[in-house]
Amino acid sequence: MKKYILLLIGMITLGACEETVQLDLKNSEPIVVVEGLVTNELKNHYIKVSKSVNFYDSNNSTKITNAMVTVTDGEDAFNYVHNPNNKDDEQGTYYSAIPYAGQVGKTYTLNVVAEGKTYTAVDILHPVANIDSLTVRFDPDEFENPEEGMEDYYYEVLFYAHEPQETKDFYLFKFYRNDTLIYDTETDIYFSDDDLLGEEINGLPTASFYKIGDMAKVEMYSISNAGFIYYNDLVNLLNNDGGMFGSPPVNPRTNITGGALGFFQASSIVMDSILVKE
Amino acid sequence: MLLAAISAAFLLHTSAVFGQQKFTVNGYVKDVENGEELIGATVLVKETGSGTITNVYGFYAVSLPPGNYTIAYSYIGYSTVEHNITLNENQEFNVELPVEAIQMDEIVITDEPIDANVTDIKMSKNELDIKQVKKLPALFGEPDIIKTIQMLPGVISAGEGTSSFFVRGGSADQNLILIDEAPIYDPSHLFGLFSVFNADVIKDSELYKGGIPSKYGGRLSSILEVRTKDGNNKKLGGAADLGLLASRVMVEGPIRKDKSSFILSGRRSYVDLFLKAKGEKSSVYFYDVNAKVNWKHNNSDRFFVAFYLGRDAFNFDNVFGFDWGNTTGTFRWNHLFNDRLFSNTSLIASNFDYKLGLDDAAQGFEWTSNLQELSLKEDLNYFLNNNNEIEFGYHLTWRRFSPGKLRPTSEESLFAERALDHMYALDHALYVGNKQKLSNRLTVRYGLRVSIFQNIGDQDVYIYADPKDNIDPERIDTVSYKSFENIKTYINFEPRISARYLLNQNSSLKVSYNRMAQNTHLISSGTVPIPFNTWSPSSPYLEPQLADQLAIGYFRNIRDNTIEISTEVYYKDIKNVTDFADNAQLFFNDDLATEYRQGSSNSYGLELMAQKKDGDLTGFVSYTLSKTERSVPGVNKDESFLANYDRRNVLNVVATYDLNDKWSFGANFTYSTGRPITLPSGKYEYDGYQVDYITERNGYKLPDFHRMDLSATLVPRKNKGRNWQSSWVFSIYNVYDRRNTFTIYTRVKQDKDGNIIGDGNEKEARQISLFPILPSITYNIRF
Repeated sequence: MKKYILLLIGMITLGACEETVQLDLKNSEPIVVVEGLVTNELKNHYIKVSKSVNFYDSNNSTKITNAMVTVTDGEDAFNYVHNPNNKDDEQGTYYSAIPYAGQVGKTYTLNVVAEGKTYTAVDILHPVANIDSLTVRFDPDEFENPEEGMEDYYYEVLFYAHEPQETKDFYLFKFYRNDTLIYDTETDIYFSDDDLLGEEINGLPTASFYKIGDMAKVEMYSISNAGFIYYNDLVNLLNNDGGMFGSPPVNPRTNITGGALGFFQASSIVMDSILVKE
Repeated sequence: MLLAAISAAFLLHTSAVFGQQKFTVNGYVKDVENGEELIGATVLVKETGSGTITNVYGFYAVSLPPGNYTIAYSYIGYSTVEHNITLNENQEFNVELPVEAIQMDEIVITDEPIDANVTDIKMSKNELDIKQVKKLPALFGEPDIIKTIQMLPGVISAGEGTSSFFVRGGSADQNLILIDEAPIYDPSHLFGLFSVFNADVIKDSELYKGGIPSKYGGRLSSILEVRTKDGNNKKLGGAADLGLLASRVMVEGPIRKDKSSFILSGRRSYVDLFLKAKGEKSSVYFYDVNAKVNWKHNNSDRFFVAFYLGRDAFNFDNVFGFDWGNTTGTFRWNHLFNDRLFSNTSLIASNFDYKLGLDDAAQGFEWTSNLQELSLKEDLNYFLNNNNEIEFGYHLTWRRFSPGKLRPTSEESLFAERALDHMYALDHALYVGNKQKLSNRLTVRYGLRVSIFQNIGDQDVYIYADPKDNIDPERIDTVSYKSFENIKTYINFEPRISARYLLNQNSSLKVSYNRMAQNTHLISSGTVPIPFNTWSPSSPYLEPQLADQLAIGYFRNIRDNTIEISTEVYYKDIKNVTDFADNAQLFFNDDLATEYRQGSSNSYGLELMAQKKDGDLTGFVSYTLSKTERSVPGVNKDESFLANYDRRNVLNVVATYDLNDKWSFGANFTYSTGRPITLPSGKYEYDGYQVDYITERNGYKLPDFHRMDLSATLVPRKNKGRNWQSSWVFSIYNVYDRRNTFTIYTRVKQDKDGNIIGDGNEKEARQISLFPILPSITYNIRF
């Protein structure tokens, strides 16, 4: 939001200019980062463990490959193993040794031991509303003024659902075009609480645009209050303006204790897809 | 109590000296051309060497034993006028001063020094000469007092193109900005490119940074008092200014000559017209309207009604839009009870509101928020004798805060109708102050302001299990208060003391201490407030902010008082400075109270200023060395941090030079240490996002800021037959095209077209700078 004010000022002042600068940044002690997701799907769920790197590092993180990872749901404990399929891009990723499905109402506890320290996190798996349907709509504006490189993409996918009014719910959305995750901008996160929502969600546009023949998929996740706060903080950090009009950037609040960054998320998930045609 | 005892002692002391019968001469000092009252004009009794200055209404009073006197009236930019009077009864004497340049030869001029810098008790105070502001180079050619205020010693700007200013370590919301006594809650147009103050209607503006008289209160750090013109009560006149971005029109004139007058002025930007011409469906504009009617019923009763309305509106593709604006109204009645008791009664209304709206079938909404205020002020000046000028009064203010209301605007909209609770406050202030001349060298001003603040209903106040838990706030109870029912009362005593000691004819020492209390808090965690920030009253969860400031200064005039030099040091300590938790959610939060964090702030600094007000070359040089730190539990891991607007060194030069009748030139130069900024000390990956790792708040500094602007004003020779005068102002902003950093943000490394480079793992820092070299031209007509 705040960065848009900068863009606006740029628009008004005409001459505003943006350039890449090389900053002389302090180097920080690497800090452990944990990312984990348990859903109600029956599958081998993942947990990623890594460490932060310096800002100008060409890697996005340093993977930790020798952590001990377990998830418990109060009854069962699930052990996780590091990169079971031995893939290069899954260094630092741990999968549950056996497939399991998270259950609505249960509390999941993550335990990670990495480099001699223990990190724990707790999240509750909440139910999620249904997606009633998706529809496709031709967008005349996008047809007339397409973004560069997106000339064939002028169909929007609209989303329909009923929001249960009696419960307090939080949602996270992911949108896919032919199985590729898409955004309007790469720092977008699509999430919401239900504070301002009425019951009927009729034709809410999803991210970006599609061309004829694309398969559009929408995933809707339930998240906890802690998850909502994490994504809210994360989106503010990703889109901060240096604290000019918005808050100064700060690390997101996490449910992970022990001093690690990241989040451990338990979600119900529903999805729907539609083939884009005229 | 101590203070009352001290003042009683002072009064006793003076009454002992004062036994002889005295008469009073009083009246108004005005401009002969247009009848505008002159504020701060010097009134000097030559026989006794004593004198006074006119108050903010242009009124003066002097008490003298019976006899013959010569009284000299003088004011910067005007010729001094002398009058001989025989005083054997109380007398009213109104004086009109001619502008210096016009009747230079026809009037007797005395060389009486204009040395208010040294002799006036006020310190930490700056006046702005609007005529000079108009000659200075301005962004897009639009003269703006706020941009000149940002150049004053002790004042810091967050960056170019902003209308916020930071006084002696105080944040932007700690400035009380008044137009004809009515508060302006957001002084910005176009997010701060311009301020709400239209240069055509401004008569006078003063900034108090310290030594604040007991008459003023409500904010911690400064009072910016802007007064608009009363309108020419002698003849009809006007002005039109055509600028690149905005134009102004002003008309003023008598309704009944010498009795009543009006002024009406409008300003509008026209960027939207360019956009429309380009075929854009988006638009952006702002406008202002100032109107005032002023009438003098008789010599004892004067009235005015003043009105201000300003608005900004943005619209994108006729789909998404927002707008904001201030509306204020002031009714004022000046009444002279007798030759010594002067009263000013004001009724003031102020409204600030903003609106966001989306026109869409699925997610149409309209969001509105506002802050309304009504106040009654009764200010009295009592001229006890030449050595004691007492002021006292009562201010009552009612405020209603409406933080937000959401309304769906289409049948199918996904939004539900919702509103956050209104909040209400009643604010009483009682004050008394005396300016007392103790000897020819020593004058003191002492006073006390008592502010009684009430947070009142109707409102539902939530009781939290832990009022600082902003992650999962748990309400354990709700207490409902009825309309006007007291929720919480805060009483604060605010002593104000200042003293001036004359070292000799042209130098003095001044010292001041003031305590200020602030009960309206801006809900913003950015550096520069935006119009979508809301305000909250002090409440059970938000204590009044309190500032104590001590300032000491040395003032000296050199070269026959043509150059005024001031040196001040200050120390300011703020208790309960309002801040917000890291990651605070300030927008539409029902549990906003859980985000409040209050702490302490301290600031100290050295300010130097040399100013030349008279002659062909006028202007000032100012230098400020200061440091401001905050320490707020719950923010930045409880570590103290530099304030967002902390700039160690600031140097400003402002000058205008009148070459001849046709040409005059202006220049600005500003240099300051870069402001602090929070930058990452690392990064990591989470779910495909490249996230910055932050280790401390404001741990870095932006590059130093410096810029020079130049202007030239051409007044072509007037045709004899024409009764209007035109002029051209040419200005160049940022002459040497410096790219000053406005802010820095980070993103995944991208090429020029915004395509991500490589595997998307690398990040880069982007620097935004607003203005390159910018020439502009403004055409003005006066008639």
